Amino acid sequence: MSATTTAAAPGTRARPGGWVGAATSTDHKRIGLNLGLSSLAFFLLGGVFALLMRSQIAQPNEHFVSDNTYNQLFTMHGSTMIYLFVTPMAIALAIYLVPLQLGATGMSAPRLTLTGFWVWLSGGLIMESSWLTADGAGRAGWFSYTPLSNGTNTPGVGQDLWVMGVLLAAIGMWVMGACVVATIARRRAPGMSLLRMPVFTWTELASMLMVVGAFPALILVMALLFIDRHGGRIFTGFNGTIDYQDLFWFFGHPVVYVMFFPYLGAAAEAIAVGSHKRWFGYTAFVASIMLFAALSVSVWAHHMFVTGGVTNQYFAFTSTALIVPAGIEYFDAIATMVRGSLVLRASMLFAITFFVQFLIGGLTGVFVASPVLDYHVNNSYFVIAHFHYTLFAGSVFGFFAGVYHWFPKVTGALLRERLGKLQLAIMIVGTNMTFFPMFFLGEDGMPRRISRYPTHLGWGTLNLIESVGAGIIALGVLTFLINVFVSLHRRVPSGPDPWLGHTLEWATPSPPPPLNFETSLPPIRSYAPLLDLRQREAEGARS
Amino acid sequence: MSATRAAAALVDTRHEYEHLFSIYVPIAIGGFAVIVLAIAYCLLRYRRRPPELAARWHENNRLEGGYALVLAGVVAFLLYLTFTAEHRVDTVSARERPSVTVDVTGSKWEWTFRYRDYGVTRRSGTIGRQLLVVPTGHAVRFNLSTADVIHAFWVPEVRFKRDLIPGATQSVTLVFPDAGTFQGQCAEFCGLRHADMMFSVRAVAPAAFAAWARSGGKAPI
Repeated sequence: MSATTTAAAPGTRARPGGWVGAATSTDHKRIGLNLGLSSLAFFLLGGVFALLMRSQIAQPNEHFVSDNTYNQLFTMHGSTMIYLFVTPMAIALAIYLVPLQLGATGMSAPRLTLTGFWVWLSGGLIMESSWLTADGAGRAGWFSYTPLSNGTNTPGVGQDLWVMGVLLAAIGMWVMGACVVATIARRRAPGMSLLRMPVFTWTELASMLMVVGAFPALILVMALLFIDRHGGRIFTGFNGTIDYQDLFWFFGHPVVYVMFFPYLGAAAEAIAVGSHKRWFGYTAFVASIMLFAALSVSVWAHHMFVTGGVTNQYFAFTSTALIVPAGIEYFDAIATMVRGSLVLRASMLFAITFFVQFLIGGLTGVFVASPVLDYHVNNSYFVIAHFHYTLFAGSVFGFFAGVYHWFPKVTGALLRERLGKLQLAIMIVGTNMTFFPMFFLGEDGMPRRISRYPTHLGWGTLNLIESVGAGIIALGVLTFLINVFVSLHRRVPSGPDPWLGHTLEWATPSPPPPLNFETSLPPIRSYAPLLDLRQREAEGARS
Repeated sequence: MSATRAAAALVDTRHEYEHLFSIYVPIAIGGFAVIVLAIAYCLLRYRRRPPELAARWHENNRLEGGYALVLAGVVAFLLYLTFTAEHRVDTVSARERPSVTVDVTGSKWEWTFRYRDYGVTRRSGTIGRQLLVVPTGHAVRFNLSTADVIHAFWVPEVRFKRDLIPGATQSVTLVFPDAGTFQGQCAEFCGLRHADMMFSVRAVAPAAFAAWARSGGKAPI
């Protein structure tokens, strides 16, 4: 391995081709693609865990899997989706797209970025390898509170591998996030001032700053948990228990926005391009995204309202205040469409669905930001519904908006529009069937993370609807995979700019050449340089 | 216990929750409707026009500033309601003199309810499945502690839960306005048989409760 890495160093020897070349390339596009494809594989794995869970709780008193297996399934579902799919996918989009949007020839510190990818992947594989141990996979939940997760209450190698997996994945993501921030600081093309960076790049900058600032807390808390599990006695007593939660959520809430902003940025690009209008209210948007990021590191303890160990009013204040920046984003999305020329392609439709469905997650987020409401719905299915509306009905739809938008850039081939719209329809039905009934179950008293429930509580019907919905979501994902397969095997060439794009990644061939741009860049005078060019040409034709 | 303490004067957590919820829900639905209608209008009005027709209008910071102020007003209104309710649920209720005190201990995977004034101890575990018995309309103080990991004491009927954190005993005061049998359960994942950590609450008239307690928990309820 080390020999190939040396060989891949630029300027020493010819690059190896094939698999070795793809695995060791320092081209940001290759690293981004490798990270994205690995994350997508973990998404499918995490989805399988979800289907198994939904099978177990589709009806009361089922015995499809054991309690122990169910606990491993929900732990690994959450861990896989958060540490190995939504967050790293946000970083993958940044690594692939940000240098292109900045007009740069590559990333800062590409070998460090590559190292970060391999550290993250090792962490992911170590975490999943816990399935192969005698005591089973990690089984203390994706946030693994102490003392449940300590060596006394959850002994065994499986949980150790989980802790080490999270630790390594977090280190890898921290390194990659820092490299993206460095790239934005140092590699912008001449003319690309900070306030001319595209909207998507701004959302990534805000996210990667949060990665840099908040992930050390996760790295620290996992290292301490590992020591604690092996006799270190770190998180003891009331304060130790609360300390773990404070440290964990100091990472855990900012990461929620790392899992949101880039997909918001992707949806924003799709809406602006699909409306033939530049994104509305750029300055206000940038200010609101930075306010959002600043607030997001001060809201963490709203996860702890029922512990009795935090100042509830302060965290209720910061959490409710998020309405302001979130409201600005919705305003900008709508105003971008107003008086535009809308083309409702799959990317645009996924982006609009992202905004509509995320809104349900956002508005119910206002509910759980109120301690009095949270005293009831905390740790119930209401919360499960709320964050799946943000993460799945929101971010994953934003992700698909980005996929339909940028797939031609990455592959040079268009995805099938009809299959895309079919996928969207299937996923809208499946998503809302799965997650909407959870609000009612939570309100009615169904706690999260129970592997069984008795018949007399009357939760069977709604749970069955949810499980059927989960199966429909799986069909939607399958439709997407078929679309990718068909589109790559019977290619419809896209050309460099199939959508009349606004930003610099559309000013180069698809896929972009090794150093990104073959010709000189168009002048950069705003956050939509290609739209500027077209508008000037139209003016020239008129005069 | 004193029969003079009127139920109306006590903080009813269910009422506080329902009141707040009934204000938050219409605001949320209203906000959702406005945004969805605006998006739907754009989709119908501006679709399939030639790209040259797209306007170049792309900024109005004064409008957005005014809009942000409106949102800040909504935030202030919601926080006012929440803080008022939270003051009652957390602070006012803690000042109430309880008619009954129950020491609640969570352990893997059952609940122990100890009525120290009556020398009665009840266990929710698989053997016996004993109920938590409380009087209606009176303040009941629960002292919450755990023997092992974090558990959470949740009674959906009164819309309230609180974590049981190792190393400290926390107290909450609840009122059960209505008689009946309600479900309760652990709401913080606590290991292998978390799903089994359920219990039942039976709220009975104060006189019936007194008779039950004086009998050492042996009288039928």
